[in-house]
Amino acid sequence: MTATATLVTPRGGKAPRRTPAGTNRGSSVIVGFVALLLIGMMLAPVVYIILGGFRSNAEITVDPSGFPTRWNWENYADVLTSGVFWGQVGNSAIAAVATTVFVVALGLMAAYALSRYRFRGRGAVYALFTAGLMFPMTVAITPLYILVRNLGLMNSLAGVIVPQIAFALPLTIIILSPFLAAIPNELQEASSIDGLGRLGFFWRMVLPLAVPAVVTVGILAFVNSWNSYMLPLFILNNEATYTLPLGTQAFASQYSVDTARVLAFTSLSMIPALLFFSVFERRIVGGLTGAVKG
Amino acid sequence: MTTVRHPVATASDDVAGRRLAEEGAPRTPSAGRSPVRRRRENWRIRGELAILLGPALVVFVSFVILPVVLAAYYGFYKWSGFGTPVDFVGLRNYVTILTDPAFHEALGHNAFIVIGSLVLQGPLALGLSLLLNRKMRAQSLIRVLIFVPYVISEVVVGLGWGLMLQSGGALNGLLDKIGLGALRADWISDPALAIWTLLIIITWKYIGFAVILFLAGLQGIPEELSEAAAIDGASYWQIQRYIVLPLMGPTIRIWAFLSIIGSLQLFDLVWIIWGQYVASTAGTSTMATYMVANGRNAGSFGYGSAVAVVMFLISLAVALIYQRFVLRRDTAGALTGGTK
Amino acid sequence: MNTRKILAGAALAVAGTLALGGCAGGGGGDNADGSVTLTLWHNSTTGDGKKYWEDTAAAFEAANPGVTIEIQAVQNEEMDGKLQTALNSGDAPDLFMARGGGKLADIVTAGQVMDLTDKISADAKTALGTSLNAFEVDGKNYGMPVAVLPSGIFTAQDLLTAAGVTAAPATISDLEAADAKIRATGVAPIAVGAKDAWPAAHWYYNFALRACSKDVLDEAAQSRSFDDPCWLQAGENLESFLKTQPFNDGFLTTAAQQGAGSSAGLLANHQAAMELMGAWNPGVIASLTPDEKPLADLGWFPFPEVPGGKGEKGAIMGGVDGYSCWVNAPAQCTDFLNFLVDKDNQENYAKAFQTIPASTEATDAVTTPALQSALKAYTDAPYVSVWLDTLYGQNVGNALNVAVVDLFAGKGTPQGIVDAVNAAASR
Repeated sequence: MTATATLVTPRGGKAPRRTPAGTNRGSSVIVGFVALLLIGMMLAPVVYIILGGFRSNAEITVDPSGFPTRWNWENYADVLTSGVFWGQVGNSAIAAVATTVFVVALGLMAAYALSRYRFRGRGAVYALFTAGLMFPMTVAITPLYILVRNLGLMNSLAGVIVPQIAFALPLTIIILSPFLAAIPNELQEASSIDGLGRLGFFWRMVLPLAVPAVVTVGILAFVNSWNSYMLPLFILNNEATYTLPLGTQAFASQYSVDTARVLAFTSLSMIPALLFFSVFERRIVGGLTGAVKG
Repeated sequence: MTTVRHPVATASDDVAGRRLAEEGAPRTPSAGRSPVRRRRENWRIRGELAILLGPALVVFVSFVILPVVLAAYYGFYKWSGFGTPVDFVGLRNYVTILTDPAFHEALGHNAFIVIGSLVLQGPLALGLSLLLNRKMRAQSLIRVLIFVPYVISEVVVGLGWGLMLQSGGALNGLLDKIGLGALRADWISDPALAIWTLLIIITWKYIGFAVILFLAGLQGIPEELSEAAAIDGASYWQIQRYIVLPLMGPTIRIWAFLSIIGSLQLFDLVWIIWGQYVASTAGTSTMATYMVANGRNAGSFGYGSAVAVVMFLISLAVALIYQRFVLRRDTAGALTGGTK
Repeated sequence: MNTRKILAGAALAVAGTLALGGCAGGGGGDNADGSVTLTLWHNSTTGDGKKYWEDTAAAFEAANPGVTIEIQAVQNEEMDGKLQTALNSGDAPDLFMARGGGKLADIVTAGQVMDLTDKISADAKTALGTSLNAFEVDGKNYGMPVAVLPSGIFTAQDLLTAAGVTAAPATISDLEAADAKIRATGVAPIAVGAKDAWPAAHWYYNFALRACSKDVLDEAAQSRSFDDPCWLQAGENLESFLKTQPFNDGFLTTAAQQGAGSSAGLLANHQAAMELMGAWNPGVIASLTPDEKPLADLGWFPFPEVPGGKGEKGAIMGGVDGYSCWVNAPAQCTDFLNFLVDKDNQENYAKAFQTIPASTEATDAVTTPALQSALKAYTDAPYVSVWLDTLYGQNVGNALNVAVVDLFAGKGTPQGIVDAVNAAASR
């Protein structure tokens, strides 16, 4: 960040004012209240979906916004015991993990090259990756589909993974490049004195230092892959290969009569992403801190 | 205390980056090398570059750039999608797009969402992040909970909200229950309301991302600055306005950039909740829904590809203008070109 | 040594990707050991329809050892898009649902569908009669019909009786009067699933059927433009009908067939009295009733006459559902098509889908009174037109449907419909 901070002396009011202690306590209450309100609004739809799975269809039609009178566990039990659900979870997991691993690997290498080497056309390559941000999946879907088909990757998870890697690279490189560029020169000089070449430096020193940013981009890639819908919609025709969002929508239209069951399935399909996020939450913020500063 | 944290107010990280760029490969101890050594060194560098940059470039060019080029190619044809395109129509598709009132509407909706998102999410997220930046008991929990909507897939968001906002759905039901039945409305299909509904749903989903980004930015501001200003007699609001906000500038600008680009490409949510037909009647169509409705779903793949190219060019133009005029101060060299 | 590590990693990555690619879901075709796999895409995602396909496929497999049929149920609203993408990329299912008309003609032009002219068995030809015409393009046949689906207004008869509507409305003004009576009882007169566009568009098709002569309809299939003034007249008639507000609340976001809130669901749960639909509706309604049994008081009457038009009295709009073979499908594909239209399978189809089979030998299996009325109107009609969006191809059809929905929403005009269709030709 080049914005240099200059301390601006506040206009007027030079008389020293002690902040009264009372204000702090009062403002804490306000803060707490706002926070509570906020959480409520954020979570209300989620809670609606989860609770809806416990109700019966008649209840939902008659009293759409009420609480369950009787806690029907059958809907959730049905979904959890169906092989279809776990199959889709498995497919989504494979796709997300593979995408993340490769995005991180390829993105890290490319960002390192772009930020710490100087070569002709470096700016052009960087701009190329940035331009990729302007071209979302929906727009590219037709030629992309034909390409995937020509490579014989239809109906396979690889046909979903490789394009996802490609589309996740721009954001990854944009986040990682400034981060890697910020690693001080002195470290590199010191390591080369110790006999480490550029690649060795990359392997031994940059990687450990880059972990926060890597975790950030890894999580973004994972979440995006997990939630991706349009690409699997076109590549995966065989029900056995469906990923979770696809399966959720297919379930919703197949059992659309059974609103409660649909809600149960939908809320269960939220769980993996939420779990994943709650485990890595601290890392995400830490990683974003570094990314934003770069 | 300042040695470990990335310093903000002193030498900018990017200056370091630029210095690095100017010098090229990191200085090695041996100054004047023999020409042979230098040539071998050059090849070695190129080799390393190939290994480092190669895979990413190959994957990216094949699966992102190539489809862009293909889309541009298809855009010059009238093509029903079967076989190879044969009916060359030149720029006619583009003329049709740019003169179609439905496209203008979609573009207008996109613009509304771009501006609406910035205006709605920016101040809200800033306020929230300021509020949440204190040490409080549930800080971690709240941060997790705010981010929850972002993590949920658009399919789930669309299905859930779609069900909630139906005429006989939970929101209207709740209004009835608490006695505000007069406020019942057709949240989804009423053209006067629909776009606001969309804006609210988008805000709901993405505010968490903004708050997390801003929190990260806030944490980079040394407390000493605020404390020093407070000692000098600045009030809380003055501190925010004259110290925190300017220092948050880069963060805000980056967030705004991502928000603008995302708004221009909005598709999934609108498609799932409104569907392709209602989107245009309810006034929530976007360029992307226009593209899919008039291109792929109408069997006009040449036309659809042309719309894709137009979207791409608009996004690119916005991005370039934004980078040149707004982001230049922050990321000169990082985004618009390496060697300056 | 680090370079080697990186190279090894890259090689592993590539190998991994290729291995994953090998785990493909598989399409149809001749397998190495001489057995044949056929892939089938149909649009029944629930209930008896889905079961019908599973049973029929199993029966075919039993009668033809070495042949396996892989079934894929695709949601109706997604079928067109998915099929288009599959055909377009050359990796299509062997057997897919087709409705004839311009949509089929487009696929024929692209050379993606198998010519069945010489492959239809003589028995099938006799049984199917004129319904085969729907799948003819330039004198050659490209599909096998399985159901004929005349369009008309399905009713929950009890609700009509309760509102004092005793006779089926014969003209549009009769219908408007009936609507007023029904609305007075607190029930929505007519349900329409405008979210999916085509249910709303069916109203326009029928108004056009009444306003335009047969020649104009056929001519438009060639020119794909709406030049005759009767098209505008149809739009104006529709507009004045819309002004009487005959539809359920929130019809713009009501789906056609998905869930209890859909237009079919409204009828099934007695929250609406009438719905303009094709003859597949009894089956759809049956799956949405509270007890998932057919609606006991289901009635039917043909679309009312509209005075001042050039369409012949009694003309009916009706689609034909059928199946086609992909151009690269194995020969067993046509065997399956012939198998589909034999008497037993057609009777099973009629029962499972609660609709009218294409085979005239199997029409005795139609027991629903509503369908029997529909069948009679169909056979008595002077001429039948296929759905206009099918007839005019996907491009024009889509534009037409969207323009009609705009009219429904109060956002478009009758002239707008004509303009939209004519403009679609430039895409």
